[in-house]
Amino acid sequence: MGNHATRHMMRRRNSGPFVAQRDGTYAMKLSPDVQALLVHMFGELRDVLTTGNSNEPTLQRLFPVAYHQDPESNEEYQRLMRSELVASRLAAISRAVEVIDTAENQSPILTSGDMSQFMQSLNAIRLLLGTMLDVSEDDELNGQNGLEDDDPRLAQHHLYAYLGWLLEASISAQMNRGEIR
Amino acid sequence: MASTTESPAADIAVDEQLDTDKPWIVLVWNDPINLMSYVAFVLQKLFGYSNEKATELMLDVHHKGRAVVSSGARERAELDVFRLHEHGLWATMQRDT
Repeated sequence: MGNHATRHMMRRRNSGPFVAQRDGTYAMKLSPDVQALLVHMFGELRDVLTTGNSNEPTLQRLFPVAYHQDPESNEEYQRLMRSELVASRLAAISRAVEVIDTAENQSPILTSGDMSQFMQSLNAIRLLLGTMLDVSEDDELNGQNGLEDDDPRLAQHHLYAYLGWLLEASISAQMNRGEIR
Repeated sequence: MASTTESPAADIAVDEQLDTDKPWIVLVWNDPINLMSYVAFVLQKLFGYSNEKATELMLDVHHKGRAVVSSGARERAELDVFRLHEHGLWATMQRDT
């Protein structure tokens, strides 16, 4: 598991991108450019889920095996549950996009339920991107997988790290409020 | 030779009965992508574990490669696996040994 964002987050706990409001919601304090980037990535995730082959290696982490010792039971499980998993992911993406789109130049406001949908979608993008980049737990120790400064994959690694920081921030905001104990 | 032993068929029936009585366990496996804090958060959220318990399970996943996060009837285990998959965790289930 990765843990790279923790130290960064500790410095930003009181000025993070998710600010708890008195009414129990959270205000998303991200620039319009970042919000647009998130909407774009959520859209790409939706496309992958609706048009991609879920047996592709890059999608395996989005559709894990359920019965690792029993292929027959797993096949039956996947037959019954895979479409539900896709529907659940699409619903989470739709809500995350809706929250940002309806803000119209204001800070998007997320309920506790919205935060959950947002986190699931954000994490799904990390799973996809992390699989594509073939990240390992050693990467955070070595930094950017030992890539040279002019390596075209460097931007994707930066994006992956940023999404991790954003996910960590959403967790901290909910933990600080005591959404769960 | 006198014997009160039940027939082999009866033994098999008893073994199968014992086997089906065993609970199912749900495991979460280590992976390099999911954040440690996210795994602990999801375990608290889905199963109502304390922060300490969720952190302990998360560290088991991280250091030992996997941890049993819930157990029970097969239908319950399938639901738990589904909810963990919804949240992107690498979860599987098996009958307890």
